[in-house]
Amino acid sequence: MKEAWFSALGEPLGEHERSEIAAYLAGLGMDAAMPVREALSWKEADELCRMQSDDWWRAEEEERARLERGARLDPADPEWLALNDELHGAAAVAAARAGCADAALIRVAAGAASHAAYQARLARAAGAASGHPFLRKYGLYCGGRWPLGIYDQSFAIF
Amino acid sequence: MSAYPSIKTVEEFRQQPEEYQTAVRKIVRSHALNELYGAQVFDEPAIGLAPTPYAKWLTCRVAMEEYHHHVRFRELADQIGVRAEEMDARNKRPLNIFEVPLESWEQFCVIKMLGDLAEILQVEDLLHCSFVPLRNIARTTMPEEKFHAQFGLDFCVDLVETEQGRARVQKAVNGFYPEVPKFFGASGSRNNQLYRQFGIKLRSNEEMRADYMARARSTVEPLGITLPA
Repeated sequence: MKEAWFSALGEPLGEHERSEIAAYLAGLGMDAAMPVREALSWKEADELCRMQSDDWWRAEEEERARLERGARLDPADPEWLALNDELHGAAAVAAARAGCADAALIRVAAGAASHAAYQARLARAAGAASGHPFLRKYGLYCGGRWPLGIYDQSFAIF
Repeated sequence: MSAYPSIKTVEEFRQQPEEYQTAVRKIVRSHALNELYGAQVFDEPAIGLAPTPYAKWLTCRVAMEEYHHHVRFRELADQIGVRAEEMDARNKRPLNIFEVPLESWEQFCVIKMLGDLAEILQVEDLLHCSFVPLRNIARTTMPEEKFHAQFGLDFCVDLVETEQGRARVQKAVNGFYPEVPKFFGASGSRNNQLYRQFGIKLRSNEEMRADYMARARSTVEPLGITLPA
């Protein structure tokens, strides 16, 4: 099935997505009940992710480091590179539809999705269970969202 | 400019003199390895040094683009008969600029601004290469190389807004820049003479180095940064 990369940006969150976010946060050892901030535009997403989000990033990196002790992926794998091109194309199309022509921000979105895709592939390669937080976060990307991180004690998502 | 004819396919390439084939193989191998080293030594580690998710994700994307450049050159290397052991990064000492240890975000931004400018010059010289498959890879990668150098410049512009930031950028330039002119190879190089004779490259190492140094100067001076002598 073709994924819906970046196609639900700015749309209201559904209950299933909210519960996935809560489970993702809990899986990372973070507050599952923290407020969720829904970004409504590329500009708002841009402003949010230019803020620091060190605790969130550190929590993910600790989990990535743990998984990498049991599995390694080849960053030059052609299939993986093809996926990255697909993500960049999808980000560019979504941005263009919203009137955003910021080449750097489009690459930021594509890079975020690549990072999540890498984490999910790593989790699978390491034999993680289907409820692993990286798989939940990647599922949000597959459904057309861009999870932005934790800023001012809120989890932001576009 | 050389009048060497355009070699449109790998099949035509195999019919060229051995000297031509060897020259093309050297250049393709060099680009493939440089792209790989750059991604491994600078881009991937820089993700952890970047200060915000914006900068981290942009660096992720840049790293993927560099790996993709490596794969494009490597695939061509395979097609034109570069031996696998010659493509193994473990068997080939990296160029001097890849031995600079990456320690800070400012340093990475300077490496993108000045290091990728050097790569732009190298790729520019292949845009009219007589071997068309190599010319096409150069033309495909060029827009991304330009973006990477601009990425470095844009972040450096932000960093030099404070005196502290300017001092850190200047320190990074002082540490990195002296290594870059060597990236263009020896003066009076026999290899470079052959590259030009075969229409693979356009300019001598000396010309490219002088052009690089002038362009590097005009890049950093508006930031209030000077190049070390």
